[in-house]
Amino acid sequence: MSLLPGINEATEPLELVNDSNEVHSLAIPIGSQWKVDLPSDFKLAITIKSGIAEVLGTELANDTEYHFQNWKFTVFAVEDVELSWKCTQSLQPKIESNNTASQIYNLHFALEKVRNSSFYGPKVLIIGERNSGKTSLCRILSSYTIKFKSYQPLLINLDPNESIFSPPGCLTATPISDLLDPQSPSWGQSMTSGATALHSKQPYVENFGMEKISSNKQRYMSNIEQLASAVNKRITSDALVQRSGCIIDSPSLDQYDDNLDDLEQIIQRLNVNMVVIICDDDGLYQKVNNRVKPIIGDLMIRLPKLSGVIETDDVYKRSLQRSAIREYFYGNIQTVLSPFTAGVDYNELTIWAPRDLTYDTSAGKDEALELLPVTLEASTLQHAIIAITYADKNANKEEVSKASIMGFGLITEVNEKRQKMRILLPVPGRFPHNAAILTSSRYLE
Amino acid sequence: MDPEAERIVKDFTSILEELTFNSRPIITTITKIAEENISYSQYFVDALENRIDKCVPGQKLYAFYAVDSICKNAGSPYTIYFSRNLFSLYKKTYLLVDNNTRSKLINMFKTWMTPNEATGGPLFEGAALERIEKFLIKASALHQKNFQLKLPTPTVPLLLRDIDKLTVLTNERLRNLPNDEKLLMKLNVLSQLKQSLQREKLSQDALRQVQLQLKQIFAQDQKVIQDSVRRQQQQNEQGESKQSSKDHTMENGSKETGSYNNNVHSESSTPFSPLFSSSSGSTPPVSSTLFGNISSFLPAQNFAEIERSNKISSLNKLYESLNEEGLLYEPPKESVVTLYNKLNKDSELSSINDTVKNLPPISTLQNILFDCKAYFSTVNINVSNIPSLQFNQQNIANKNPLVTNSLINLLYRVKSNKCSTCGKRFGNAPEEKKLYNEHLDWHFRINNRIKGSSVSSTSASLAAAANKNIQSRNWYLSALEWINFKDDFIVSTKEVVDEDRQTNSQNNRAGIVTLPSGGKISSATGSNVSEESLYNKFVAVPESSVDMTFKCPICKDVVSSVYDEESGEWIWKNTVSIDGKYFHATCYHETSKNSR
Repeated sequence: MSLLPGINEATEPLELVNDSNEVHSLAIPIGSQWKVDLPSDFKLAITIKSGIAEVLGTELANDTEYHFQNWKFTVFAVEDVELSWKCTQSLQPKIESNNTASQIYNLHFALEKVRNSSFYGPKVLIIGERNSGKTSLCRILSSYTIKFKSYQPLLINLDPNESIFSPPGCLTATPISDLLDPQSPSWGQSMTSGATALHSKQPYVENFGMEKISSNKQRYMSNIEQLASAVNKRITSDALVQRSGCIIDSPSLDQYDDNLDDLEQIIQRLNVNMVVIICDDDGLYQKVNNRVKPIIGDLMIRLPKLSGVIETDDVYKRSLQRSAIREYFYGNIQTVLSPFTAGVDYNELTIWAPRDLTYDTSAGKDEALELLPVTLEASTLQHAIIAITYADKNANKEEVSKASIMGFGLITEVNEKRQKMRILLPVPGRFPHNAAILTSSRYLE
Repeated sequence: MDPEAERIVKDFTSILEELTFNSRPIITTITKIAEENISYSQYFVDALENRIDKCVPGQKLYAFYAVDSICKNAGSPYTIYFSRNLFSLYKKTYLLVDNNTRSKLINMFKTWMTPNEATGGPLFEGAALERIEKFLIKASALHQKNFQLKLPTPTVPLLLRDIDKLTVLTNERLRNLPNDEKLLMKLNVLSQLKQSLQREKLSQDALRQVQLQLKQIFAQDQKVIQDSVRRQQQQNEQGESKQSSKDHTMENGSKETGSYNNNVHSESSTPFSPLFSSSSGSTPPVSSTLFGNISSFLPAQNFAEIERSNKISSLNKLYESLNEEGLLYEPPKESVVTLYNKLNKDSELSSINDTVKNLPPISTLQNILFDCKAYFSTVNINVSNIPSLQFNQQNIANKNPLVTNSLINLLYRVKSNKCSTCGKRFGNAPEEKKLYNEHLDWHFRINNRIKGSSVSSTSASLAAAANKNIQSRNWYLSALEWINFKDDFIVSTKEVVDEDRQTNSQNNRAGIVTLPSGGKISSATGSNVSEESLYNKFVAVPESSVDMTFKCPICKDVVSSVYDEESGEWIWKNTVSIDGKYFHATCYHETSKNSR
C-alpha cells in the first residue's frame, strides 16, 4: 500500500472543534463598560438583547448582530444591558465602571448649549497625551452631536497616524452627517459608487504622506493651512455645518515643538475657540494652559484620561493602518469594493516626493516645502502608496504641492525592463493624467 | 500527463462541474469514468477533492455522493486515496452546511461504517473514519449544549403541561391501534412520571433531564406520525397513477432522472437521533416550546378542543376557589403604570399571573414606562437657558444631576422610535415620524440593492452591475467641489433622489454639486446624456481589425460585431473609441462619471 504515490504525505494536524458556535451571554450594569481587548486574529459578534449600549457614542440596534475584527473598543452601557456574544477564540470579558462618561456628557451638553444659542457652533480642539483617548472623545462627541438634532459637525483629523475615512498619512475634514459605523475602526466608509448599509461620508483630504510630523514640520503646517482654508470656506457657505461647529482631533502633545508654537498656529488657523486637554500630568497641563490662555481665554478645560482607553502598542497601530489601507481599496465585509489594476507606462507617470528632513538635513527652511522628483525604479516604488493629485502630470512642483488629493494608488508591480507599472486604483479606469506624490506607506497584499 | 489522460481528466472535471444538484445520471457517469480509468485515479481524486473544497456549501453534499459512489463501486485504490483527506474535507463540509444536509452527511457516514461485502472491512481506512466519528460526537455534544440553552428553564408546571400534551398524543394514537402494548405502557409511564413530579421536589438538573427525555419521546412520536402521513400520501399517489397511465409514464421518467440519495440510501435512513432532526429551525414561541409544531401532524381541531375545555374548566375552578377565599384582586384601573407596579410587587398572586399572558412582556412595559419618564423629565427644559452648562472646568468636572437625570434622555429615550437596523433614533412629533418612515423605507431600498433583488432598470449592463451591487471607492472631491458640497445630498432618504441615483446613469457630479440645498429635487436637469443615446453609440469595425470582436476593458465582456443595414458596415453597438481603445459606451460613461 505504501507503494502508492503520495500516500505517505503528512496529513494536517488534528484540529479540535473550537467553541466558535458557543453563544455567551453577558450583562453590563448601567454606567459600566466592557473593554473589548480583541486580539488581532479574533472575530467577535455581539447582539444586544435588551437595554441601551453604545460603541464610542454610536448606539447599537437591539437584536442585530454586529461584527468586530482587528479593533480594540469599548461597549458602554447607558442603561442596564444584556447582550450575547460569540468569538472565534476564547475571550474573557471584563466589566468595569466608567468614571469619565459623566464628564463627557457634561462636555457634550455644554457644546450643545453653544450650538443652541448661536449660529456659530463651537470649534473645539482636543489635545492630550499619547493614548489618552483623544480620538475616542472626538468620536463620542461627534456621535452625540448628531443624536438629538440633525447637526452636521465637521470632524477634523490633524493626526496623520490616525485613519479616519482615509488611509493613514492624511489630514482630513469630514462633515459627520449621519451615523458612524460602530463596527469600523476608521469610523465608516467614504463615498462609494454603490449602495452602502449606512450613509457614506464625504471627506476632504490633505496628504501629509509621512509618519512623523517632525519629518517635515513645514509641510505639516502648510497642510494644515490648506485644510483650514477649505474648512473655513465650507463653513461660511454651509449654514448647517457652521452652526454644528468643528471637533478637531490632534496628534499627541509630545509631537509639537517645545514652545508649543505649532499649537498656537493650529488654534489660529482653524479659529479654534474652545480647547479640551486630556492629561494626567499637572506640569504639562500648566505649560499648555500658560500658552493657550492668552489666545482663547478661559475656554480651556481639562479631562482625566478616559476610562475606556485600552493600552495599545505600535504593532496594533500598524495593523489598524494596514486595515485602513485595505479598506480604502477593497472595502470591508459589509461593503465589498472592487478596485482596478491599471497598467501604466513610465512616461504616463510623474511622481514627486516630499522632503524628509530627518535624512535631508542640508535643506534650509525655504526648501523644506519643495517637492523632489522621484526616479521611477522598483526599489523605491514597489508596494508604495501614492497620492494622486488634481494637478496635471506636467504641472510644476508648486502647483502639485498646492493641489487637492483625488485619491490613492498602490504600486503593486514595477517592471523596469518593460518600463511599466501596475497600479491598483480605487476607481476602475485608466490612470488619471495627473501628478502623484509618493507617501511613506507601503502595503504588501 | 499524456494528451489522452489530459482529455479524460478534463472530461471528468467538466462533468463534475455540472453536479450542482442531486443527479443520479451524473454520478453514475462519473463513477463509470472512474472505474474504467483506474490508472488516472490520482487525478480524479484530486479533481473531486478540489470540487468538494471549492464549490458552494449547498453542492458539497452531491460531490460527496460522487465520492461515495466511486468508492463503493470501484473500491481500491480510490478508497485509499480518499482516506487521506477524508476527515478534513468531511469536517469542513459539515461545519459549513445546514442541519438538514448535516443529517444526510451523517447518514452517508453510517453506510461507510458498515463492513464492505468484498473486503469485510469498512469502506475507508479505520483511522480516518475514527476521526470523523470522534468529530461527530463532539459536534453533537456541542449542538446539544446549545440546544439545551435554548430550552426554557424547566419548572414543574411546565413539565406537567408537556406530559399532559404527550398523554393526549398517545391517546390519539391508541385510538387507531387499540392493542398496541407499547403505547399502553407509555401511558402508564407518563402517568407515573406525572405523579412523581407532583409529589417530590426534584433538583433543577433532574428536571432538565426529564425535559430532555420528554423532548426525545416527542420527537419519536412526531416521526411516527410523519411516517404515517407520508404513507397515506403515497397510497393516494398510487391510486392516482393507476387512474391515468399517462401520469404513470411521466412518473417513471422522472424517477430515472431522480436523485442518487433516494435510491442508494433509502434503506439506511433509520430514525436517528432527534438532535439533528427536530431542532433545525429557530426556537418556537416560548409558551409551548416542546410542542411548537404539533398542529401540523395532528387533527388540529381535536387537540385544540380538548385543550380548551380543560383550560376553561380548570380556570373556572380556580376562579371560584379564589373568590371564596377572597384572594381575587381586581385592578381598579387598567392603566399600564398601576399594572406594572402590581406585577412587580406581588407576582405570586396567580390571578394576575393569568392576566400576564394577555399583556406584552414585562420588558416592553418597562420600556414604555422609561420612555414616558424620559419624556416628562425633559419637558420645559431648554438647553440654552441652563447656567450649569456653561463651558468651564467646574461645570464639566463635577457631577451635574440635571445632565445625568434628565438631559441625557435627550440623546436616547426622548426619541423613542429606535431603528431596529441601525439604532438611529426618531422622536414622536409628526414630522419626526415621517422621517422615521422614510428612514425605514430607505433601509429597505438599500438592502434590496445590496442584495441585488429589485432593480427595474432597463439597461442590461447597468442592471447587472446594480444587481450585484458592484461598487468601488469614489475619488475624493477637489477643494472647490468639497467646499460647495452639501451633505444633505448623501443623507436625504427621500425616494426621489435615491431612485434617481439608482436609475439615472448620467447623474454626474457636476449635476449634484449644483443642486439647491436640501438635495430634495431630482438632478434630472444635470442629465444631458440619456441611456438610450449611449446605447445608440456605435463604432464601425476598422479595416485594420483582425478579428471582428473586442473585449471591453471595463466589464471584460467580448463584444462581437453586427451588420448594420443602414450604413452597410459592420459595427460594434454600444461602443465608444477612446484614445484608440474600445469600450462599452455604457461602461465608459458609468466609470468616467465616477472618476471625474
